[in-house]
Amino acid sequence: MKALWFHLMPYPELPEGFRDDHRSVWVDIDPTLYDPVVGHRAYHDYLDELEHAAACGFDGICVNEHHSNAYGLMPSPNLMASALARSTEDAAIVVMGNSLALYNPPIRVAEEMAMIDGLSGGRLVAGFPVGTPMDTCFAYGMNPATLRERYHEAHDLIMRAWAADEPFAFNGTYTKLRYVNPWPRPIQRPHPPIWIPGGGSVETWEWCAEMDYVYSYLSYFGYKAGQATMKGFWDRMAALGREPNPFQAGFIQFVGVADTEAEARRLYREPAEYFFNRCLHLYPPFADPPGYRTEATVRAGVEGMVKQAADRAKAAAGSSKPGAFGGLSFDEMIDRGYVVIGTPTTVAEQLTEVATSLNVGNLMLLCQFGNMDRDLTMFNTDLMAREVLPEIRGLFEDEWEHRWWIKPMPVDQRRPSRRAEVVQ
Amino acid sequence: MSDQAIVVEQRVVATSGGATVTVFELGSGPILGVLHGMAGLDSPTTAMLDLAADHRVIAPCLPGFGPTPDDPSLRSIHDWVVALSEISDAVGITGAAWLASSSSAMLALELAAIRPEAFASLVAVGPTGLWEADDPGVDLYSLPLGEQANLLAHDTEALGVLAGDPDGLDGDDLIEVGVSRYLRRRTAASLVWPLPDHGLAGRLHRVSAPVALAWGADDLLVPPSYGERFAGLLPAATLLSPITGAAHLAELDSPTEVATIVRQAAGGGS
Repeated sequence: MKALWFHLMPYPELPEGFRDDHRSVWVDIDPTLYDPVVGHRAYHDYLDELEHAAACGFDGICVNEHHSNAYGLMPSPNLMASALARSTEDAAIVVMGNSLALYNPPIRVAEEMAMIDGLSGGRLVAGFPVGTPMDTCFAYGMNPATLRERYHEAHDLIMRAWAADEPFAFNGTYTKLRYVNPWPRPIQRPHPPIWIPGGGSVETWEWCAEMDYVYSYLSYFGYKAGQATMKGFWDRMAALGREPNPFQAGFIQFVGVADTEAEARRLYREPAEYFFNRCLHLYPPFADPPGYRTEATVRAGVEGMVKQAADRAKAAAGSSKPGAFGGLSFDEMIDRGYVVIGTPTTVAEQLTEVATSLNVGNLMLLCQFGNMDRDLTMFNTDLMAREVLPEIRGLFEDEWEHRWWIKPMPVDQRRPSRRAEVVQ
Repeated sequence: MSDQAIVVEQRVVATSGGATVTVFELGSGPILGVLHGMAGLDSPTTAMLDLAADHRVIAPCLPGFGPTPDDPSLRSIHDWVVALSEISDAVGITGAAWLASSSSAMLALELAAIRPEAFASLVAVGPTGLWEADDPGVDLYSLPLGEQANLLAHDTEALGVLAGDPDGLDGDDLIEVGVSRYLRRRTAASLVWPLPDHGLAGRLHRVSAPVALAWGADDLLVPPSYGERFAGLLPAATLLSPITGAAHLAELDSPTEVATIVRQAAGGGS
């Protein structure tokens, strides 16, 4: 089992009445709510937290890309990843990822990811999301009807560029380059592991199955609600005659651990309610522009994760329950598995259930969520690393080979990180 | 002529580019090419039935808008203009009088900018294609689905499948209606995303045929104020008074008024 520490980098000071006074956390969020001084502090705290997670034994640290979004302050995850490549030693740098259609020309992704792979000594996991409709179609103006075609063309260009041993011309529909010849080149050959974050589109899991990529279902609604999507992925894998190797799948999960159940509920209630009530306050039309979903997905009646979030947030607007999300109380969020809260023992049991029920070998753990401050995040991270990870780390290890993991340079060939130099 | 007496022919026509389009033909008289708006075309509209009394109405369904299949190769406005040119030739409306609505009116104007003989005259109902930062109109796709229909037409029943699921359908039929609705919304959105401005303003001076500009007075998507900008850029334009009680697809809300405008334009009376 790979335990990965995932940071969304939420803006920590959305006002108390945000849900009532504002339409959406995404796309047209009020720019006057952003205080650059708060942002300055948050960026440093968040990088500290990621570095700490890497230092205390998590297998990887994850960053991702969002635009015009108050729960994700990373328009460029590559900037964060490059800083982390300098300040961490062994953890995988998991960029989940670059929304390929938004890069013009997309060879920029091949270049920047090669830089991160080089800086980190071959520790990059390259994530290639299509991107949410809010990010791609609204914030970045991509035509939803052509978004996926652009994405696949960009993917083909990047993969070919990493594999090529001589310059070549690329005559795509959207990108035309007379000379494709990215310098630098990634350390990992033929390329870094490819992981595909998905929000529930049928095509995404089918494509991962066919391409032999890791499918990472990034749902905010926990493992119980994720069963149908992951079953779809594994059914497709079986239809293709592929083995059900759990390391080919990833799943994201909110986690809060403390010494007692009562203490855990006391500590993590506010951050959870902040996330679900303020950070997921989405305006539904932004989640489903016509053309973003493919015909097959519409035909299958599948709605993306963000659309579900928007609908639930809208339902919550009519709820009279304090702190409710979609009519759910904090206790119900726990019962439904949105957040895994408890003691090290019960959290380890629940995460084992998450991993085995979904057959997922890469758990992306959100140990910071909502407005959780630095001290509580460090406490949560320490306790997870010390008492939970040892209980779950052995899962799947004896049965399956992780063929989608990083292949770093030998330690004796790597230049020590800045952190290591400072320690010395 | 009563509606019952009008024979509607529906056929599938191949274009020189190898595409196939469904076309509706009805009535007799001088040819009138009709290009539908964002709702697509599943059967002749009330305005078409009215105009069939003294015209041979020929109305192709554009790709992705209903019975004509979606064409993924139509990515840019240039692609669409070439496709419209081939469709126009294939269904036999090139050089005739045209009635076109919304994004189809934009495509008709784009075509005439490079092929002046495309139509002899055009009645353009609420054409898209320009952008005024101070008067942008409502962003249709930022609205809940239920509100989108009302902005397209007050008479939401005239929107057909775009208005909602017909009564009495279930199972696979319901799924097919839902998919059809989604695909035509996708196609319509692709023509105006993220903004409807594809550079038409710089080409309108090349449209030599007369253009009558009609607007629904309640059009919130392309406000009637855009009529003056179009009229100022077109060499031979007539800006008509907005049609009271009509939204963006005024030909659906006010079919009699639009039919009258078409007859006046064809007779030079606009």
